[in-house]
Amino acid sequence: MLTRRVFMRGGAMVMAGMGAAPWWLARAADGASGGKRKILVAIFQRGAADGLNVVVPFADKRYYELRPTIGIPAPGSAPNTAIDLDGRFALNPALQPLKALWDKQQLAIIEATGSPDPTRSHFDAQDQMESGTPGKTSSDGWLNRALSPAGPDTSPVRAIAVGAQLPRTMRGARSAIAVNDAQQVQAGNADTSILESMYAKSGDQPLARTGNDAFAALKIIRSITQQPNTPLPGGPQAPQYGQGGELGRSLQQIARLIKADVGVEAAFAEIGGWDHHGNENPQLSNLLRQFGSALAAFSQDMGDRMEDIVVVTMSEFGRTAQENGNAGTDHGHGDVMMVLGGSVRGGKVYGKWPGLEKEQLFEGRDLAVTTDYRDVLGELVSGHLGQKNLAQVFPGYQRGESLGLLRG
Amino acid sequence: MKRLALGLTVAALVCVLPGGTKAGGRFETKLTKDQQILQVLNRLTFGPRPADAEEVSRLGVDKWMDLQLHPERISENPVLEEKLKPLETLRMQPGEIIASYPQTPPGLVFRPTPLNELLSQDQIRQILNSTAEERRAALDALTPEKRKQVLSVVAPQQLTGLPDIQKEAEAARQEQLAERQKQIRKLMPQLTDLLTQDQIQTALRGNTEQLKELFGFLDPEKRQQVAAALPPQTLAQLPEYRRMGLKSKQPQQVVSGDLKEGKVYRALYSNRQLEEVLVDFWFNHFNVFENKNVQIQPQGVVRMLLASYERDAIRPHVLGKFKDLLLATARHPAMLYYLDNWESISPNAFDSFLVGPFAAGQNLAQQFSRQAHGLNENYGREVMELHTLGVDGGYTQADVIAVARCFTGWTIRQPTTKPEFVFASFMHDTGEKVVLGHTIAAGGGEQDGLQAIDILAHHPSTAKFISRKLAERFVADDPPQSLVDRMAQTFAKTDGDLRAVLQTMFTSPEFFSEGAWDAKVKSPFEMVVSAVRAMGGEASDTFTLVQKIAELGEPLYGKLEPTGYPEAGEGWLSTANLLGRMNFATTLASGQVPGVKLDSSRLEGKDAAAIAREVLGRPASDQTLEALAKGLEGKEPMARMVASLVLSSPDFQRR
Repeated sequence: MLTRRVFMRGGAMVMAGMGAAPWWLARAADGASGGKRKILVAIFQRGAADGLNVVVPFADKRYYELRPTIGIPAPGSAPNTAIDLDGRFALNPALQPLKALWDKQQLAIIEATGSPDPTRSHFDAQDQMESGTPGKTSSDGWLNRALSPAGPDTSPVRAIAVGAQLPRTMRGARSAIAVNDAQQVQAGNADTSILESMYAKSGDQPLARTGNDAFAALKIIRSITQQPNTPLPGGPQAPQYGQGGELGRSLQQIARLIKADVGVEAAFAEIGGWDHHGNENPQLSNLLRQFGSALAAFSQDMGDRMEDIVVVTMSEFGRTAQENGNAGTDHGHGDVMMVLGGSVRGGKVYGKWPGLEKEQLFEGRDLAVTTDYRDVLGELVSGHLGQKNLAQVFPGYQRGESLGLLRG
Repeated sequence: MKRLALGLTVAALVCVLPGGTKAGGRFETKLTKDQQILQVLNRLTFGPRPADAEEVSRLGVDKWMDLQLHPERISENPVLEEKLKPLETLRMQPGEIIASYPQTPPGLVFRPTPLNELLSQDQIRQILNSTAEERRAALDALTPEKRKQVLSVVAPQQLTGLPDIQKEAEAARQEQLAERQKQIRKLMPQLTDLLTQDQIQTALRGNTEQLKELFGFLDPEKRQQVAAALPPQTLAQLPEYRRMGLKSKQPQQVVSGDLKEGKVYRALYSNRQLEEVLVDFWFNHFNVFENKNVQIQPQGVVRMLLASYERDAIRPHVLGKFKDLLLATARHPAMLYYLDNWESISPNAFDSFLVGPFAAGQNLAQQFSRQAHGLNENYGREVMELHTLGVDGGYTQADVIAVARCFTGWTIRQPTTKPEFVFASFMHDTGEKVVLGHTIAAGGGEQDGLQAIDILAHHPSTAKFISRKLAERFVADDPPQSLVDRMAQTFAKTDGDLRAVLQTMFTSPEFFSEGAWDAKVKSPFEMVVSAVRAMGGEASDTFTLVQKIAELGEPLYGKLEPTGYPEAGEGWLSTANLLGRMNFATTLASGQVPGVKLDSSRLEGKDAAAIAREVLGRPASDQTLEALAKGLEGKEPMARMVASLVLSSPDFQRR
């Protein structure tokens, strides 16, 4: 029963009910093979996160020689020391919320990851990493290429990115939408049927397509936002995203959509501010507190559903091994990636540690890359999402050895 | 005679109509007279205002365009000048801005006294490196006041094994925090500290007159404090107070605000619309990013330089010679800093920041860690890839290096206090260079860069690249090659006279053709500004509009990459973006945008189709009309509601 509200109060259009549920909604919860749909969530840390202070190689004494001021103290009894993971690596203390995931073996860490391309330009490196093509930028992104072609049953919200613009990772042939909380909350009422009609019938192809996607997504999101938060089996009554900052809010958006079983397969969120050229530790702690808290809250919120979800984090490159004169670091090369999920073989640090002696450093200054980031992403795309055609996802790339990140 | 003439006319029409190829056909089909009027308004301005079409019709399209191409013949809107007056940084030199708008207002800078200023080296060593008992003894030996100061700054792990002292240290830190908060509260008092309850009610809920009266009642210091404590929306009718309040809290935000608010004011009010469109175009072409390196240097260096950059390097040349524009941007500290040329140093030069006119000090030198060779290729590459030849223009990596070498020494004197261009000969690479086949002899200095500019400006690819970009902005996302070629020819023939190139474009059949009609999707900036203009809006404060434009994905002066925002309109279409535009349309039409007042009186009493025609400047598409008719059947919708639907329609997203 569609109730109508003619105009708006306070400038906001208010959705007053939804028509019959779209026919594809019923099937949206199911994965291709009949089991629960698998979901891959990619999180981009923009600004070149300092992997060496995020996951601390405390057993390597060179770390403390290179970072006398900003080195994170080795695991010990004091509150601000790193959190031991496996005797060689430890988490920055601000990532305390992730320790439980590590202990439950749902968190895997891959050291010394990155791109073979040496660029230290933020925008070039981000563009290339999102394109999945080191050395050049493609017009589309790896995650978009990882999706199978859309069929009549494909949900309009199967690929979502939180933010005002669609990131390169999600751009491409498959339909993907940018979801921005602020926007969705306002728009949508009986009058959207007029707007919907304008766009649906419009002869203006690009606008018609975008409009139709927008309204389809809007309906879903509005109906979800109006429902009270439904806890999932194994999940908490009230999810704890409070400490997660902007990333927490983004993941909460994604969580709501996943819970509503509307067919989400791929999601993207980002967190900026990692470019710590000076006064690094206080800023990094702050950011990591949000980062860790957001990831932990999301994991918790998803409850048993985490079995079907994998979250992967990445940054365009790492930072210099040696601290600079301003208690900070400059643009580097190798970095750290994290993978979280119920089906992840967690509780382990993967990758070959290249060492921090001068001759072991890339160009004598940065952590070297011993695992191509596409190996990590490729394994998740094929093993978790089931997209076996990796040549299409990462054109021109020859896969390295399998890391064994996923169970089964 | 008449009949013969008619017959000939019909025959002529019949001959002209069948087009050539499909694509060529649309660009060969002429627009009607009315369409032409709207076309010039859509392309040469930021969107038609209610009375504009009539004015263009009165003058005639050609005369009107010619006038816009000679902005010095147009008297500027006095309303604009009034609105820009308070935005003083727009008229200041970078050095003045830096001096008057510091990063943190004086008094709010808080620096905890570090250990090495409180204690001697021996004492520090004792406190940090000995056994627990020795550390306790050392601390006990201090005066109570010094003990508290030391405990509040020493790191917690230094007090392991001394749990009682750790507690004490925690208490000392808390006390210091509370002290600081008190200090801040004194400098930035809240409303409850400043006004009575009644006054607060007036401030938050009163109308403009009442608010003005209240401010008049207060002394200057209190006025500033109240302005700083009020939420910005409450001061949307009194933007000068809002600005004053912000200046006392975050002076840098005012500098940033002046730029962006000024830009929106100009787009809304300037009579020299084409000049404004061109300044937007060329700034985007020679893009610089407001927040470059703000992590290293929180006082945004580029931000302080932007007013001068746009005013002194870009605006004077938009209808002049391209080579002059290119040179002005190449020399401006904003570009030198943004694309790092200021620190590009010859591989052979004495590798240090500590000598010569560049003596910026140890700290700055360390902040910018150097590559082994010292040459920074960023500008060398982008000046060819983005500013002149274009990525396919035919330059090589060797050219990039050669151009970069030419520009070594083009740097900034006193970048943090009074930035200005300086040529530092000690940084310059005096070797011979070959740029795009031209040899630049060894032993040169500043002229090497000038020669490089000359070569780039006159390269045939530049004429084509610039012409194409202009055609993308003003004609269509994929403009017909025939037009681009003719524009490039004009460019070459006139030594890069941009006015002449524009004339070639504006008087071309392609410009007034079906192919160019409705061909461009509006950028967020264009959508927001054209909406306010179409609705006959008056802006007392543009800061909310600036925010909305940023939310739609085009933060002004905020494009990080040197490519600038895309000229191809279709890149702006995303689902969030489209919904965002609709939200904005609703908020605007319902009068809910702080600082913007609409006049929808001319829409009252009209039906949906008529309102659409008023807002769009032409009849809406059939589909839009049908959707409106069906959806509003049997209803009596408010004119503003219909207007919001029209502003949200696919029709309004194009120009």
